[in-house]
Amino acid sequence: MSLEHVVGLGIVLFAIGAAGFFIRTNTVVLLLCIEVMLNAVNLILAGFSRYLHGTEGQVFIFMIMTVAAAEAAVGLAIIVALYRLLKTLDMSRINFLKG
Amino acid sequence: MLSESIWILPALPALGALVNGLLGARWREKGIAAVAVGSVGLALAAVLALLAEMLSLPAGDRSFSVTLWRWLSDGALHVHVGFVLDSLAMVMVTVILFVGFLIHLYSAGYMKGDPGYRRYFVCLNLFVFFMLVLVLADNLVVTFVGWEGVGLCSYLLIGFWHEKKSACDAGRKAFVVNRIGDFGFLLGTLLAAVTFGTVNYADLARLLATGPAVSEGAVAAVALLLFMGAMGKSAQFPLHVWLPDAMEGPTPVSALIHAATMVNAGVYLMCRIAPFLENAPAVLPVIAAVGLVTALYASFCALGQRDIKRVLAYSTVSQIGYMFVALGCGLWAAGMFHLLTHGIFKGLLFLAAGAVIHALDGEQDLGRMGGLLKDLPAVSVTFMAGLLALAGIFPLSGFVSKDAILWGGFERYGTLFWLAAFGGALVTALYTGKLFSAFLGRRRFEGHPHRPGGLIVMPLATLAVFALLAGIPGLPLFTADTFFARFLGMPAAQAAPATSAAHDLEVALTVLQSLAVLAVLAGAIRLFTREKRPVDSAVLASGFGIDRLYDFLLVRPLKACSRFFAAIIDARLIDGAVNGLGSLSMALGRFSAGLQTGQLRHYAVSLIAGAFALLAITVCLAGGL
Repeated sequence: MSLEHVVGLGIVLFAIGAAGFFIRTNTVVLLLCIEVMLNAVNLILAGFSRYLHGTEGQVFIFMIMTVAAAEAAVGLAIIVALYRLLKTLDMSRINFLKG
Repeated sequence: MLSESIWILPALPALGALVNGLLGARWREKGIAAVAVGSVGLALAAVLALLAEMLSLPAGDRSFSVTLWRWLSDGALHVHVGFVLDSLAMVMVTVILFVGFLIHLYSAGYMKGDPGYRRYFVCLNLFVFFMLVLVLADNLVVTFVGWEGVGLCSYLLIGFWHEKKSACDAGRKAFVVNRIGDFGFLLGTLLAAVTFGTVNYADLARLLATGPAVSEGAVAAVALLLFMGAMGKSAQFPLHVWLPDAMEGPTPVSALIHAATMVNAGVYLMCRIAPFLENAPAVLPVIAAVGLVTALYASFCALGQRDIKRVLAYSTVSQIGYMFVALGCGLWAAGMFHLLTHGIFKGLLFLAAGAVIHALDGEQDLGRMGGLLKDLPAVSVTFMAGLLALAGIFPLSGFVSKDAILWGGFERYGTLFWLAAFGGALVTALYTGKLFSAFLGRRRFEGHPHRPGGLIVMPLATLAVFALLAGIPGLPLFTADTFFARFLGMPAAQAAPATSAAHDLEVALTVLQSLAVLAVLAGAIRLFTREKRPVDSAVLASGFGIDRLYDFLLVRPLKACSRFFAAIIDARLIDGAVNGLGSLSMALGRFSAGLQTGQLRHYAVSLIAGAFALLAITVCLAGGL
């Protein structure tokens, strides 16, 4: 299992997450896609950490996991609030962010 | 001594204007009139005292001067606010204050009941102040201050009845036409300052006499430019068009500003800069020609007018033309003397005309006047005295002054010039006869003319007496060396040796002129007092269509030009540029607002795309690819 495999998997995972973020409209799925992208980055960090025999990459992974957990908590809360307000989670219909 | 403080002469009317202007809002008419008339009267008393003092001095030192403060200084050029009262200024100041005082007195009666009573007297006092500044100034710049000041007061007073559109138009016309002349005045002043490094009259005269040589062209240019200013102010052809229209103002204003004082400022200015004219003799024929053309042209125009005031206005233009003829012959004393006599008898004529108009409830048409001698004896007699002086009938003042001018023209420019000038004098007699018809012959006015009060008659009588007597300083006849010329102390540009043959010819010409004028006047009176009067020529009435010519040549192209600029340049180009910038930024805004769809996925795409673009650029710059 070489570095190329790990990084390649990470890139594929990130691409899947990004594509899902672009294509899907359900807010919960969007949150999942973000998690996928974050974990793809985590994977790449872990791969490089092992390759370079360092620990900095692993430290960053913990950092990102913490942030991701917090983000999931806040994101789910927002989703609940959104649903209560709009009775929908379809992001294509939630388009208030425009000029 | 009084001679130390000649600044008091302009200060008094200025004080009158200030007091009336700041404090007089609630005063009754009598109080306002007392302040206005009193201030000018005090100034008149002061100038009479100064005159007595001046006459007691030997002829060489008849000049009082005072420098008040330094006004401008730029390198070598210093402009001081200073006044000088020499014999030339004395003549003008005496005319201004004497006629001005009587006209103030007359106005107190004439303007009674006018809602603008206070405004009228403030402007009138202010006018006297500026006029005195103009005359007393010892340099060109301060003269220019007075010059513009009288122009302003003239504008204000012509448009005094500002609810009448014609009055406002006339005021504007006077102002605009005067600006053309003022432009020349200003350029002349600047040229004098550049060439000589000073604008002081005395210094200029000294430099011209003894200083380093200056090319005659420069001297002539200064003289011609200043003459252009004089043409505007003194209503000389072709800048005369404002004066007939200026008759929209109250009649005393016409008498004071547009007959006796302001319009003569040009003549005075030419005498002030006489050293220039003497050093540039080529300018003199120009002045004489302009004067002669004006004198002839305006006398014909006067013949064609129906409005009594417009006849007098054109007559004023014509008489000032004669003054310029005198100056053009180098006869400063004759020009100034005609100014003096004309100021008196034309002031009288205007005031009497005002009294007639007043008595006839605002009727100004000569065609509806006639036989007024019975109804208004005092006014008629004084008016006719003024008319006789204007026509130049033998013992009256106009005769003495005009005779000197005609002879001067003959002597310097020959027979043809004299014939033209004499022709003008005959036409003067003709329109004088036309004015006579208002008082003689059959009554043509329905209703009862009411006789004017004492305040109006008294100045008329005084002026009439002076119109008869003012010729005395012009004696003895048939010589340039009159009492007046001696007082003025200005040498004539030419000192022709008076041969006995020339003297005989002069006497013969004078007799011939007098007889011809008398005959023409008598004929004209007969002609115009007949039941059926000659029809007025439309060409003459419109002043040979000069107004229409200007309208066609200048006013309409200017109007078309401004319409073009308003409609095309301003509305399309400038507004287009401004509005275009606005709509451009609106369009840009609308376009970039369209980028914000509100769809989260679009934002995400642009985010990722941006990140990749940055990455690509970095890699490119690092030379990785």
